[in-house]
Amino acid sequence: MSGDRILVVEDNPLNLKLVRDVLTAVGYDVVAAQSGEEGVALAGSCDPDLVLMDLQLPGIDGYEALRLLRQDPRLGGVPVVALTAFAMREDRERTARAGFDGYLSKPISVRELPSQVDDFLSNGRADVR
Amino acid sequence: MEEFRSLQRDYTDATEQFAAMNEVLTALGRSSSDPDAVLDSVVESARRLCRCEAAAVYLIDDDHFTLASSVGLSTEFVSRIGEHPFRIDRATLLGRVALDRQITQIPDVLSDPEYGRQDVQRIEKFRTIMAAPMLLDDEVVGALSLVRTEVDPFDGRAIALLEAFAAQAAIVVRNVHLVRELEERGVELARRVEQLEALSEVGGVVSSSLVLDEVLSNIIMNAVRFSGCDGGSIMEYVEEERSFSVRSAYASSAELLRKLRGIRVDLETTLVGRAALEGHPIAVADLDTVELDPHLELLHDDGWRSVLAVPVLRGERIIGALVVRRKRPGAFSDETVEFLETFASQSALAVWNAQLFRELETKTAELQVVSQHKSEFLASMSHELRTPLNAVIGFSEVLLERMFGELNERQDEYLRDILSSGRHLLQLLNDILDLSKVEAGRMELATSTFSVRSALEYGISMVRERAALHGIAVGLEVDPALDGIESDELRFKQVLLNLLSNAVKFTPDGGHVAVAARRDGDDLVVTVTDDGTGIPPEDRERIFESFQQGRRGAQQEEGTGLGLTLCRRIVSLLGGRMWLETEVGVGSTFGFSVPMRSPVEEPPAAPTEQAHLPIVVVIDDDRASLDLMTAYLDGLGVQVIHARDGEEGLQSIRALAPAAVVLDIRMPGLDGWQVLTRVRDDEATRAVPVIIVSMLDERSRGLMLGAADYLIKPVGREELIGALRRVGAVHSDVALPEAGGARSRSRGAG
Repeated sequence: MSGDRILVVEDNPLNLKLVRDVLTAVGYDVVAAQSGEEGVALAGSCDPDLVLMDLQLPGIDGYEALRLLRQDPRLGGVPVVALTAFAMREDRERTARAGFDGYLSKPISVRELPSQVDDFLSNGRADVR
Repeated sequence: MEEFRSLQRDYTDATEQFAAMNEVLTALGRSSSDPDAVLDSVVESARRLCRCEAAAVYLIDDDHFTLASSVGLSTEFVSRIGEHPFRIDRATLLGRVALDRQITQIPDVLSDPEYGRQDVQRIEKFRTIMAAPMLLDDEVVGALSLVRTEVDPFDGRAIALLEAFAAQAAIVVRNVHLVRELEERGVELARRVEQLEALSEVGGVVSSSLVLDEVLSNIIMNAVRFSGCDGGSIMEYVEEERSFSVRSAYASSAELLRKLRGIRVDLETTLVGRAALEGHPIAVADLDTVELDPHLELLHDDGWRSVLAVPVLRGERIIGALVVRRKRPGAFSDETVEFLETFASQSALAVWNAQLFRELETKTAELQVVSQHKSEFLASMSHELRTPLNAVIGFSEVLLERMFGELNERQDEYLRDILSSGRHLLQLLNDILDLSKVEAGRMELATSTFSVRSALEYGISMVRERAALHGIAVGLEVDPALDGIESDELRFKQVLLNLLSNAVKFTPDGGHVAVAARRDGDDLVVTVTDDGTGIPPEDRERIFESFQQGRRGAQQEEGTGLGLTLCRRIVSLLGGRMWLETEVGVGSTFGFSVPMRSPVEEPPAAPTEQAHLPIVVVIDDDRASLDLMTAYLDGLGVQVIHARDGEEGLQSIRALAPAAVVLDIRMPGLDGWQVLTRVRDDEATRAVPVIIVSMLDERSRGLMLGAADYLIKPVGREELIGALRRVGAVHSDVALPEAGGARSRSRGAG
């Protein structure tokens, strides 16, 4: 839904820019972080509606960042979606086990990204309620 | 005087024998690719020297003998045993030889109640028959048989001769086999790393080189005995080092053999080397009176006084050397020298065999290392390339979606080119990654039950758009009796999609593609047929190789050149096979089979098999992490035991007394800290080194609680191995691990 705030955590600047620009273009409010630590810190302060989290990050990785986010009471119910580098089954299963609310495999589809994000937002809300 | 005559006769016999064998070996040297000629020569010599009417070599073929070569047998006999071969049972001489594994004679066939082949006896009218087994690696591969038409039992001399000839015939068979194998491998290996699997089987053959050592000991033993010397050794020439190394010795102390093996017998500066370079034997009558090279000095110190060095040559090529020696000084007679020269030429073959073995062994090992490196390189390369590629694809898409404004026709066209090139490159990377996974034995299958029809329909839906664009009709025919299959759905679809997109790609506009599925015994058979241009015969194997595209479709096509290679590997991983039927101008059918039920997993290796390997218990609740650790430790000579939680891990540690434990911290139930504390508190497990591998950075806490090392995830392979080395679980001299499946077995929670 337009106006929702999406936190994107992704270390590769080009990929980050791509996701940010696409989501901004369709009307989302995008906050960008380039590392797990930065993402966790920003999540606490920017009150996001959805977090898109890359898994392979310098410093703490996506799994560890997710764990820290889950410990933050301010972020209860905010869906966190994994951005996986490989569209591989092992990774998918692993993200589900780790507690991510979903995953998007790279390369992300520019055409589909807005509607996928929209789905995650509404599913996340549905779960909370 | 009588004794002298007898000796002389023996000597003449022996010389004649060796001359004959030499003839056989020369024949072998001439034509390693024509085993028949060599066997003919063996048979002819055996018949002549054992003074009988007929001789023949038979090779074992499953449950019967096949005639490989013969002399003196009638065509009627030959055609009779062609139709009714000798079976391996007690009713035939050959059968008895094969069953008893020893030389056997029947003094008179007509008075042997057990003999059952009167049919051939009537044809050939033989009475006394004898046969010796041809043994290779302790296995009877055939027999050499002799036939006399009168009752005239073979004497000890003939028995000894036949045994010797049978041994020669066995070496001939082995040698022909080896040479052929080496030649084939040599060509193929350079071309395709795919052959590695086949080669690891050769590795099994190589382990039988012990048998060759036995052959070599036999040679030197006979050389010493026949020449009336007191001791001797046999050396192998090592081309790269331009020196000889001692392989085997006879009548020499263990101490002397150890010392002999320890020295390098140089080609240029030693007596043995000189004999080899000059191509004839050189004798030293008294070691006290000459200048000693290191080899002779060693012998002299050990109490030897006279030495004869005989080169072992194969044509111009130096293979090795025979050295015989005596405790007393004195010249070697011409007869002895001549005899040993003959003997040496006979042993050339066996020594050469040993070298062939070693060559194969080295080649195999080198290729494994190369393949491992290649796989690792490809895996990391594809990952590194993928990230920027994602940006290329993504930004092209953004622009093509007109997200930031309208494009003119040319811009639109160029962006489409960028996008399709980017996607092509990405597909290539994915294929490379998959292929390297398969080759490194790290592609894991996830088996589930899925509907064959749905999977096929899914595949067709993926190519429908393109097919429609070119007016190609895609038909599907599924045997109604087919429903679920138990296999890896993702991989199954991957193979299918690959074949389908190839078919659509290579079918001319307006053509047809037909997909069919049926059951064949325990297998599902899927075929994808197109009516494209077909594939010329010379391309039919080639298209399954990496980066080879067939000539069908003269225009530049966008295939990755890896698709079929990958498909074939995946299908074989799934337990099936892939094939191609094609006719130029008519079309092609690619087919593959996969078992309907996934093969039952191999039971865990028997504990005894790996009992001697040190155990490393890896405790981690994350499957992927366990697999990664196992892959890291693959080939390091340790046995990896998995535990999925702390409780199970503790049980394994108590039960197995492992050489090391690799422990995760964050786990459900008992966490790593608790496991560590309990291991340290228990008298029985206190000494077991624990290496913590965790995402948490709490190194000091870990070390304080008694961990031997603390690694932070993600952990690299070198890092983990380094830690295991420091605690002594992995030997510091382990070589690069080989490619292949991890040696692991899971341990149930109980």
